Amino acid sequence: MTAEVEAADGQADEIPPAPKGFLRRFVFSIDHKVIGRQFLFLGLAFLAIGGVMAMLIRWQLARPGVPVPIVGKLLFGPAGGVISPAAYTALFTMHGTIMIFFAVTPVLIGGFGNFLLPLMIGARDMAFPRLNMASFWTMFAATAVLTASFFVPLGPPEAGWTAYATLSTAIGAPGPGQTLWVVAIYLNGASSVMGAVNYITTVLRLRAPGMTYLRMPLTVWGFFLTSILNALFVPVLAAAMVLLFFDRVLGTQFFIAGTTPGAGGDPILYQHLFWLFGHPEVYILILPAWGIVGDLLAFFARKPVFGYRVTVGALVAVVVLSTVVYGHHMFTTGMSPLLGESFMLLTMIISVPTSLLVLSWLGTLWRGAIRTATPMLFCLGMVFTFGVGGLTGLYLADITADMYLHDTYFVVGHFHLIMASALLMSLFAAVYFWFPKMFGRMMNEGLGKLHFWLTFVPLNLVFMGQLVIGYEGMQRRLYDPSVYDFLKPLLPLNRGISHAAYLLGAAQFIFVLNFFWSLAGGARAEANPWEVGTLEWTVASPPPHHNFERIPVVVRGPHELSHPAARSLGRDWLGQAEVLEESPTPTEPA
Amino acid sequence: MTPAPATASRRREIDAQVGLVIFLGATAMLFAALLLAYAIVRSEAPGWPPAGAPPFPRGAAAANTLALVAASLALRRGWARAAFAFGAAFLAAQALLWRHLVSIHLGPAAGALGEVFFALSALHALHVLGGLFALAPTGSRRLRLLTIYWDFVLVIWVVVYVAVCLL
Repeated sequence: MTAEVEAADGQADEIPPAPKGFLRRFVFSIDHKVIGRQFLFLGLAFLAIGGVMAMLIRWQLARPGVPVPIVGKLLFGPAGGVISPAAYTALFTMHGTIMIFFAVTPVLIGGFGNFLLPLMIGARDMAFPRLNMASFWTMFAATAVLTASFFVPLGPPEAGWTAYATLSTAIGAPGPGQTLWVVAIYLNGASSVMGAVNYITTVLRLRAPGMTYLRMPLTVWGFFLTSILNALFVPVLAAAMVLLFFDRVLGTQFFIAGTTPGAGGDPILYQHLFWLFGHPEVYILILPAWGIVGDLLAFFARKPVFGYRVTVGALVAVVVLSTVVYGHHMFTTGMSPLLGESFMLLTMIISVPTSLLVLSWLGTLWRGAIRTATPMLFCLGMVFTFGVGGLTGLYLADITADMYLHDTYFVVGHFHLIMASALLMSLFAAVYFWFPKMFGRMMNEGLGKLHFWLTFVPLNLVFMGQLVIGYEGMQRRLYDPSVYDFLKPLLPLNRGISHAAYLLGAAQFIFVLNFFWSLAGGARAEANPWEVGTLEWTVASPPPHHNFERIPVVVRGPHELSHPAARSLGRDWLGQAEVLEESPTPTEPA
Repeated sequence: MTPAPATASRRREIDAQVGLVIFLGATAMLFAALLLAYAIVRSEAPGWPPAGAPPFPRGAAAANTLALVAASLALRRGWARAAFAFGAAFLAAQALLWRHLVSIHLGPAAGALGEVFFALSALHALHVLGGLFALAPTGSRRLRLLTIYWDFVLVIWVVVYVAVCLL
C-alpha cells in the first residue's frame, strides 16, 4: 500500500501546463478529452449522413422509381430525382461503409474510448498523446478521401461495404471511386491501429495504484478487449486493401481468377482475408457496447453487476472465439462441408458466453431499485434488441438454414438488430450518460425519453420487418423488388417498414435538438449527477486539464452500489477511491 | 502491473517499448495475412514456380539482406547515422532489384511469382522507409526502440525472402 501511494506521488509532479492558443487547445490538441470530443462530433456527423442514405434506400424500396421528394432534384438531378440503379448501389455501399467505419467506430471507440479510458482508470492522459492526435487526424484524412470518392468520374464505389472481388477490382469497378474507397479504409484502419496501440498500453501501464484488472469498470474492459482485436485483425483488412490496391493500380491478379494461364488469382481469397477481419470487427464494435451497458445497468439498478468475474470471463471468451468463426460468412462459397461444420459449431459456441452476458444483465436488474433515466431506457432497449438480434444469429450460423437465408433481408435484419439497434442504443445510452461529464451540462430528460420511445419502437418495426421479408425470400441489395412476381406481395410490407424508418429518422431530430440545446443551455452538471462510484465522476464536469490533481488510489470495485457501509454516509454508493473512516483498509467485498 | 520504483522518464521509456511491441504485433499480423494470401495463391497454382516464369534472382535479393543486417548491427553500437545509410542503401538496392525483375518479366503484372514478391517487398520497403524517418531526428534516448524496430524489419525481410525466394 505504501509503495502504491509513493507511486501516486511520483506522478503528481509531472503535470505539463495546459496549452495556450486556439489551435493547440481545440484543433491539434493532444488532450484525450478534446480528441474524444473531436471523434464524437466527426462520428455523429457521419452517423447523420449514413442515416440519410438509409432513408433514401427505404424510399426506393417503398416506392421504386418514384422521384425522391424535397431532396431528389438536388441529389439525383440528371435522373429527374429518381434513384437510378447505380445510385442505389452506391447508396447501400456507402451507407454500410460510413456506418461501420466512419460513424460507430469513431463515436464509440474513438470518442468514448478516448474520453473515458484515462478518466476511468485514474490516469492523466493516454500513454501516447501525440499518437492519439495522429489517430484522429488520420481518421479525418480517411473521411476526406471517402468523401472525395463521391465526386470522381464514374461515381462513388458500388461494390457493397464488403467490396467483394471482382466487383471491387478494376474489372467490376474501373473508376477511381473504388480506389479512393480502398485508400480511405486503409487510413481508417491505420487510425484504429494507432488507437489500439495507445489504448492497450494505457490500460497495461497507466492504471492508478490499486486499479487491478478485476476492479476495472466493464466499459474499460470493453475498450481494452476491442483494442486487442483491433491490433490483431485490422492489419488483416489492411492486407486485403493492399492487395486490392495492387490489383487495381499495378495490374496484379490476386483476386481475379484465371485471366493469365497458370497465374490466376482467386476472388474467394479476398473473402477469406475480409472476413478474417470482418468477423472480429463485429465484436470490435459490440464489445464497448457490452461494457457500457454492463456498467450502466448496475448504476441504474443500484446494484453491483451480477457475476462481474463471469462477465469479464465471458467477454474474454468471446474475444478468443471471435477469431475462429469467420467462415460462417462464407458457407455458400463452396467450402468443404467438414470445414463448414467446424465453423458452424464454433459459431454456436459463441452463444454460450453471450448468453452469460445476458444472464448477467438480467441478474443485475433482478430486484434492483431501477431508476428509469434516459440512459437506462436505452440500456434496457439494448438488452432487448441484442436478445432478438443474437437469437436470429443462431439461424444464420446453422448451415442448412443459412443456405436459404444467405443474402436475404433476414441477414440484413439480423445484423441491423445488433449493429444498428443494440449498438445504436448503447451509443445513445453512452451519450446521455456521459454528456454531463463531457460538456458540463445535463441533457433534457423529457426529450431524451421521447427520443427513446420514438427510436425503440420504429427501430424494432424496421428490423423485425426485414427479418420477415427476408424469410419470405427477398434478397438484399435488390434495386427494385417489384419486378419479381414472387416479391410483389411484399410491397405493402416494404412500405410499412419504410414508414417506420422515416419515423425513426425523424425522431433523431429530437436527439440533435436536445444535444445542441443542452450544449448551449442545459442545466449545469455537478461532478457526480448519477451518484456512481467510478473515477471519472470524482472530478469536475467537465474534467480539468490533466484530470486528477492527485492520482487516486483505488480501494474497491466499480459497482459498489447499495453498499451497507455507505448507509452511514446517507447514500447508497461508494467511490472506487473512497477511503472509509471506520475501516482505513477496506477489504475486497465478496 | 509491477509498480516501477523508477523515475518518470524510465517509466515512459517502458511505456514506449510496450507500445512498440504492440505495434509490431499488429504489423506482424499484416505480413502474416499477406503470407497467407501467398500460401493460398501458391496452393491453387497448377505448379510452382509458375510455368514459364524465369528463375528468381535469389543472389541479388540475398545480397540486399546484408544491408539490413548491417543497419541492425550499427544500431546496436549506437551508430544511428551509419544505420540510416545502410537502411537507405537497402531501399536503393531493392529499387534496382524491382527494376531488374520488371525487365526479366517478373513484374507485378507478369504472373503469380512476381506479384507476390512485389506485394510483400513493397510493403516491407514502406516499413523500412518508416524506420528511416524515425532514425533521421534521433537522440540516444530512442536508440533502444529503434533497435527493436530495425531488428523486426530485418526478421520480416528474412521471412519474406525465405518464403518467396527459397521455398
